[in-house]
Amino acid sequence: MRVPKNSELESDLRKIAEYIVTLRQEIAALQANEMHTEKIPSAGQELAAVVNSTEGATNEIMAIAEKVLSADASDAAAYKALVDNEMMALFETCAFQDLTGQRISRVVKTLEQIEMRVSRFASYARVADQAGFSSKQEAEEAERRARLMLNGPSIAGDGNRQIEIDRLLASLRGE
Amino acid sequence: MAADSTMPILIVDDYKTMIRIIRNLLKQLGFEDVDEAADGKEALGKLREKKYGLVISDWNMEPMTGYELLREVRADPELAKTPFIMVTAESKTENVVAAKKAGVNNYIVKPFNAATLKNKIDAVFAPAA
Repeated sequence: MRVPKNSELESDLRKIAEYIVTLRQEIAALQANEMHTEKIPSAGQELAAVVNSTEGATNEIMAIAEKVLSADASDAAAYKALVDNEMMALFETCAFQDLTGQRISRVVKTLEQIEMRVSRFASYARVADQAGFSSKQEAEEAERRARLMLNGPSIAGDGNRQIEIDRLLASLRGE
Repeated sequence: MAADSTMPILIVDDYKTMIRIIRNLLKQLGFEDVDEAADGKEALGKLREKKYGLVISDWNMEPMTGYELLREVRADPELAKTPFIMVTAESKTENVVAAKKAGVNNYIVKPFNAATLKNKIDAVFAPAA
């Protein structure tokens, strides 16, 4: 076995020390605590607010539609006044889209910041992705989703449109 | 044979808003006897208590999915012939093929409109060509 000279050893140790110092700086730049305690919870709250807001608006819109559909149309003037009034309420309810749009934009910005920090760190530290799942719970959930085909809504072009599903069903009937 | 507008229909969806949408569309199509369940397990209980003429079910629900509900229904001799329409955002080919193999009568992808719902219900109750 070759024994390194003191100068080589010193040089190697200096490189390792420098790497550790820079790695610490990169870890600090990740701002992991801020991500964990502020950015991600805040994004979660924004998305929860979007869900509540869209659900609330949908229910209001449906209530308006139900009211118009069940209204007595025998008195034309009264019916028109009711429809006009409900249509104004409908326009007002649609204002939710402005707020949800702003909330989603904030979440997208947060995700972009996190992506930038993590990719910078991964690139510097030359991190290779670990295979498999980080927990038993995550593995079980992935297995369930695969077994029960829980893919969720498709991005445009990824899933089938109704017309394609109809064709697929027709072809399967012939099997 | 057209769908009997007096038949009881069971809507299965974990999203209250979607149940309300489907219930309103069914009302416009003339179907008034409509019950609801929030997942496959609750639906199975209702199906064993009352005879339904049609099940309209979402796929992605907890703890029992619509796909599991469909398989349970088809495996139960008392329920096996109940018409079953899947109404879901799951639009991948593997979902449609699996649902068909499990015995689904029709498949509607969300979002959908009243005409699609009507067409699919009519197709389920139309005499086989």
